[in-house]
Amino acid sequence: MKRYTRLRQPTIKQLKKGNVRGQFIPFQPILVRVFHWGFALSLTVILLTGLELHHPANFLALNFGKVLMAHIVFSWFGLGFVAIRIADAIVRRDDSLIPKIDDLKTFPKLIAYYIFLRSSPPPSRKYNSGQVFIYFSWILLFLVASLLGLTSYWQGKHLIGVWRLVGGFQVLRWIKFTISIYFLATIPLHLYLLLTEDLSHLQAMITGYERKPPPN
Amino acid sequence: MLSRRDFLKLVVKGAMLGNFYQLISPPLAQAVAAGEVNKLPVVMIETGTCTGDSISLDNIWTPTFSDILSNIVDWRYDWSMMQAHGDAAYQVLQETYDKMPNEFILIVQGAMIQRDGGHYNHVAYDGAKLITGLELVRRFGLKAKYVVAIGSCAAYGGPVSGYPNPSQATGVQNILPERRVINISGCPAHPDWIMGTLLHLALYGEPELEKYGRPKLFYGETVHNRCPRRHDYDQGIFATEIGQKECLFRVGCKGPVTYADCPIRRWNDRFNWPIGCNTPCIGCTEPGYPDLMSPFSAHSPDIPFPGGTKVTTDKIGLGVLEITSVAIVGHAAISLYKGRIQKNLLKSSVKSRHRPSVKKVKTCHQYRLKKPCNEE
Repeated sequence: MKRYTRLRQPTIKQLKKGNVRGQFIPFQPILVRVFHWGFALSLTVILLTGLELHHPANFLALNFGKVLMAHIVFSWFGLGFVAIRIADAIVRRDDSLIPKIDDLKTFPKLIAYYIFLRSSPPPSRKYNSGQVFIYFSWILLFLVASLLGLTSYWQGKHLIGVWRLVGGFQVLRWIKFTISIYFLATIPLHLYLLLTEDLSHLQAMITGYERKPPPN
Repeated sequence: MLSRRDFLKLVVKGAMLGNFYQLISPPLAQAVAAGEVNKLPVVMIETGTCTGDSISLDNIWTPTFSDILSNIVDWRYDWSMMQAHGDAAYQVLQETYDKMPNEFILIVQGAMIQRDGGHYNHVAYDGAKLITGLELVRRFGLKAKYVVAIGSCAAYGGPVSGYPNPSQATGVQNILPERRVINISGCPAHPDWIMGTLLHLALYGEPELEKYGRPKLFYGETVHNRCPRRHDYDQGIFATEIGQKECLFRVGCKGPVTYADCPIRRWNDRFNWPIGCNTPCIGCTEPGYPDLMSPFSAHSPDIPFPGGTKVTTDKIGLGVLEITSVAIVGHAAISLYKGRIQKNLLKSSVKSRHRPSVKKVKTCHQYRLKKPCNEE
């Protein structure tokens, strides 16, 4: 005889009853998630407005004053989110985004996995070595680009040392363009690997919890 | 005598009205005549140059350059302007060096040629010995009251130091690290910038300099900030070809990265300036000109590759994005073929031991699991 279970109970309760393989563990704290989505939005606006300022598109008739304003405002937002993430990392003593020697050691194995020479990725910390390198470089380059942005914003009135170190406005502009190309090349990679490797990371970035598979 | 504040006002007023020298020269000539100001002893040494800055300086209209030479400054040595030549000319130079230490102003026009000890640029005979520009500028620079580099070549190397820079040319500051060099960049430098700086030196000493050693009173703002077409930029109205009357940003105008007061001072006795005749600013006053500013019709500089090939920055950027796209698509195709994507998605998305299937219960319109969770 068939027995029916009411589904009106919260799903999580049912899952706790053992219907799920593995267990749910807290993976992304709230501040990390706030940083991630806030930074993603800010970076998107910064990149799009930056490209428009660099090379105005023929099919867009935008008010450049407003485009520049959006670029600057979202750069400040981006800096704010990075500051939140750094503060959170310091408070929680979270070094998951800082590359370590072990990451360098496992990186060739990870690349071997990505080019189909291994069947599974090497064991890693919270993020694998490729993720650590890319995320760390993003934060670093965003800070560099922000510093250069502020230098150009103040037009040589402040941060004169940076101006001299870089070698002028045109070089500064070129470095910012190069950084934006790096972001544009690595963000699609991030999205691709996110969608094809482990969707539970995306779930964790929204809910905060990730399903940890049972030990084999 | 004019106060410094009045002088600075005249600099701006003269730029607006186009009669800087008319405004500045009468009080200055009076001050010189009354003995309040000494005539400036000036020595101009030309090194790796096209003499464009001398030609530019000669373009002063009212008063003429000769008025300035005879009434305001003591222009002692300048091989483009002086009548004496040979030993007689060199004697004047040597006399200034010996008798006026720390009194004269050294003006350098042209890049410093460094290769092979500077022997690709001889500027004088001392008896039978050839003197290089490098040696002469260093010798005089250490004894001058002020050192002024006019033109982009003298200031930062300019076109002479352009890629691949076979003569290893550089700016004056790099060969005179002991001295603070006042740079009056530009290709050529505007006559107002040269004379205005010299007059400031004579009357009030060294002017306030900006980050690259240029007087702030002439190089304090970008061309872009003062451009009469700035409103076009702000509204996104751009010329699509050189020669059109809108903002020239899209066709490579370097106004946003160039510090100079060309928009208000303009050229040829305030007659016109590049943007006024619908050609983009080429950024001739900035360090790195012309390499960093070329091609003049594009924003970013071309990147040199071994073998002499140059590729535009935009092409490199697009190339990187194309490679990334191809790599991602290729990886996705192989992953699908090998079943990795399917495996990963199943692994990360199937959460139950068995998929719960549901059946509608008609009586109370509730959904229930066909199979209970605990039933194994």
